[in-house]
Amino acid sequence: MEWIAAITAGIMAALGVWMMLDRHLMRVVLGIAVLGNAINLGVLTAGRFAGERAAFVFGNEAVTDAANPLPQALVLTAIVIGFALFVFALAVLKRTHELHGDKDTDKVSAATEQPAPDHNEDHHEPEGRA
Amino acid sequence: MHVSLLTIALNALLAPWIWRVSPRHAGWLLALVPAACFAWFVAAIPAVAAGEVLTASIAWVPALDVALTLRLDGLSLLFALLITGIGALIVLYSAGYLHDHHHLGRFYAYLLIFMMAMLGLVLADDLIAMFVFWELTSVASYLLISYQHEKGESRRAALQALLITGGGGLALLAGLVLLGIAGEAWQFSALEKGVVQAHSLFPAIMLLVLVGCFTKSAQFPFHLWLPNAMNAPTPVSAYLHSATMVKAGIYLLARLNPVLGGGAGWSTILIGLGALTAVLGAVLAIRQYDLKRMLAYTTVTVLGQLTMLIGTNTTYGLQAFVLYLVAHSFYKGALFMAVGSIDHSTGTRDLRHLGGLIKLMPITGFAVGLAAFSNAGLPPFFGFIAKEFKYTGLMQMGSIGWTVTLVMILTNALLVAAAALIFFRTFLGKRGDWPGHPHEVPAFMWLGPLLLAIGGFGLGAWNHWPETWLVNTAVQSVATGPVEVSLYLWGGITPAVFASVLTLGLGAWFYFHADQVRHLATRLGKAWNYSGDLLWDLLLNRVFQVAGWVARQFQHGSLRLHMALMTLMISISVLGWALVVGVQPFSAENLSAVTVPGVIGCLLALGGAAGAAFMPGRLVLVASLGASGLGLALFFVSINAPDVALTQLMVETLTVVFLAMVLRRLPMVPASGSRYRRVSIWHGVVAVVLGLTVTLMIMTAVSQPLPGDLAEWFLTNSLPGGYGSNVVNVILVDFRAVDTLGEIVVVAIAALGAATLLGAGQAADPKPKGLPEFGSVLLRQGMRPLAAILLLVSLVILWRGHNLPGGGFIGGLVAATGFTLLVVTFGRGIRRGLERITPPTLIGLGLACTVGAGFFGLASGLPYMSGHWVELAGIKLGTPLLFDIGVFLTVFGSVMHMLRNLIGRAG
Repeated sequence: MEWIAAITAGIMAALGVWMMLDRHLMRVVLGIAVLGNAINLGVLTAGRFAGERAAFVFGNEAVTDAANPLPQALVLTAIVIGFALFVFALAVLKRTHELHGDKDTDKVSAATEQPAPDHNEDHHEPEGRA
Repeated sequence: MHVSLLTIALNALLAPWIWRVSPRHAGWLLALVPAACFAWFVAAIPAVAAGEVLTASIAWVPALDVALTLRLDGLSLLFALLITGIGALIVLYSAGYLHDHHHLGRFYAYLLIFMMAMLGLVLADDLIAMFVFWELTSVASYLLISYQHEKGESRRAALQALLITGGGGLALLAGLVLLGIAGEAWQFSALEKGVVQAHSLFPAIMLLVLVGCFTKSAQFPFHLWLPNAMNAPTPVSAYLHSATMVKAGIYLLARLNPVLGGGAGWSTILIGLGALTAVLGAVLAIRQYDLKRMLAYTTVTVLGQLTMLIGTNTTYGLQAFVLYLVAHSFYKGALFMAVGSIDHSTGTRDLRHLGGLIKLMPITGFAVGLAAFSNAGLPPFFGFIAKEFKYTGLMQMGSIGWTVTLVMILTNALLVAAAALIFFRTFLGKRGDWPGHPHEVPAFMWLGPLLLAIGGFGLGAWNHWPETWLVNTAVQSVATGPVEVSLYLWGGITPAVFASVLTLGLGAWFYFHADQVRHLATRLGKAWNYSGDLLWDLLLNRVFQVAGWVARQFQHGSLRLHMALMTLMISISVLGWALVVGVQPFSAENLSAVTVPGVIGCLLALGGAAGAAFMPGRLVLVASLGASGLGLALFFVSINAPDVALTQLMVETLTVVFLAMVLRRLPMVPASGSRYRRVSIWHGVVAVVLGLTVTLMIMTAVSQPLPGDLAEWFLTNSLPGGYGSNVVNVILVDFRAVDTLGEIVVVAIAALGAATLLGAGQAADPKPKGLPEFGSVLLRQGMRPLAAILLLVSLVILWRGHNLPGGGFIGGLVAATGFTLLVVTFGRGIRRGLERITPPTLIGLGLACTVGAGFFGLASGLPYMSGHWVELAGIKLGTPLLFDIGVFLTVFGSVMHMLRNLIGRAG
């Protein structure tokens, strides 16, 4: 099972990166979600799928073949944070579209870049020389 | 001693405030602290003169053995007195000189920070601590030179000074570190000459330290910045660029002379470059019409001579060093301040427009006269003794010394001429034509020059006093061995007296033929002008060009290229590491069995992701992404992770809703891939390589034996320690609660940020467009109870989460889903219902709950976030439950907040 999960995570990561390299900003945002899912899956897999039961312990039972709870806890919060990040990216996308009407990845970075305030400042006034 | 540093720093911090409260009295109020420090150091004179060394130490970075050890010996004391004494006068002077400047408070702050740094520099015994103060003085100097930052010239000068002294600082740091390694000690007082000089690193140490000192003290060829630094307000020039900061390099040379000095290399470099700098400065000084620039170049001369005197290492040479140091600080400080006053009152510093000021500014004139006489080295001024000793010291060196003496006679003659020009041309002779209305400056402004000038006279006339109390111990700390110190004005007919007479005669001749001399110097200077500052500009320009070129290669503005390069770089470094270490991803044992639901989940996740990656359209993208997430949820169930699966399920639902709402407003998304085949292939390669890397890494991790028994520990302790059966939830809200707190803070911040962007510009919209409501009455009536049920369910999930699948995260997401249903049904009508409890309030409340839950543990003496339990009617209630409620509220509030702002705009 680990192999299948690892390969799935690998392919999903590749797909996620492919999407993030896309021309269209929308797909870049979706890529963030896919890449996030791939990494979550990867973290869980790295914790191994040992155990036959979910990680629950009840009073009189001996704990033997339960799943590893720690990666689960990590991934659980990671999913929620990933969602928050996704919505934030979505918000940036929406705002960019409203302001610049552009959803081409490279053009947007050019459109939003502003020259530094003292960009054209001359550093080399001839006065003040010895 | 620490207290003095601390109070001055505190004084600096308070300065802007004090100035704002009382602009008229700020000057003398702020001068009180330096004056008090001065008094303290004066009180320390008897102890130090008796040969005592005062030390105080505070551990700073104990792990690296860096301590803030302060050590007050003769040399430090001398500098400390100059820094605090002249500093106090300068603060007073600034109050008059800059009284109408609108940022005077800031000026005081910079000046006092500099004072603190400089004092720390001369007191620090630790190499590293000294270096930190050293750099701090450079920074303070930068701020002070660029104080009138509206002027391009000031900014250029400040940058030049910072780059040169900062670059030298880097060399110095390297030198000090090597020195520490070679000397096996990190305190100046613990370094031993024999150990250091026998070390193979010694030449490197010496050169690096010398570069640092020469840049700071403006020795050739680094002297460029000092005259340009005269763009700073005059108090700064007087204080930093003549009396104190430029002497930091000299100080360090003197401090290290007992350790590094004595060899032929050290002496040759110091005497050679020092003498060269001195001559150069004098030649350049005589050319100037601008009084301040003239003073600046004479400062360069003096710094060169001081460097040279350390290099002599003869008994008279070292005495002359200390004498000259003090004499120069006195007369140059006085002259600078006085020139500032002249500028302030007449509106010009040009010699050609000045003259006959003595009647208008008698007190300043008197001070300038005294200082100029000391500068020229006339008896009985302190400058005279310094000059006599200098000649004697040089002559002690033999034939080379005699040659240098001749050069110095010429140099000093030029200084005499310059001093005469400054006094006679300005104050005597016929009345000049100045733009301003000259008047005697206020007491604040003549007090400093006058005190310093009289001091220069007094120290010379009653030279037993400085000999006994100051010079002796200072010389001993500089010298490699014990030196007998005795000062005198008249030592009989010696060669030095002849040299002095010659100097004065030559100086007088120069003065009376000033125009010819200036003409000659200008001719000499032509070549210089070309190779100096212009070269610097050229160099700096080149540096900017190269930097621009490098930046353009990486900051090309293409997001995709950044992304591709970064991804590729990650893959290559990880794969490279894997190759070097020789990982074995194929040796995993004890793998779990393949299950049908697991495989189906994986396939669904992959298919969905592939659809989202390649297909055109909008609805398709939403659907594929949702399918991918659901597949993942199914997989999580198959590996016995119900909580994770539930979370994934809820998140995926919400993702689809958000995506659908935003996508409605966006145009159609075309199929993926670039227009150019080559780019597509390149992106494909980058993606595939990363995918391979990820798979490889995961399997490598799985192939390693699971370190430790963390899983077991959590499973064993969950019930007895956390009173919960759901181990995952117990980890989240109890064992690792602080982590969770950090994570929900991230969620809250992302939500607040996203909500602002989603709803931006809403208030400006007079007719807020909202999501149109569904017209269906049936739907609206049906939704209300359904949403209420979902809300109840979410509470149940929250409550039972400690023992069964559920918890704050899942509960919050379920509640948010219920709310989403309402939003979809009622559109922006829902906003009205939300006015009572706003989502940010919920977020705040949630965070307060989580943070507050931690304090219960603290109250019972346990670490923060320790669980605290009470039993009520057979039910265990504990702070983890409160914490989980906080998580619930934060997650719920965050999603609501984002959604609420989204619907306000969509439509």
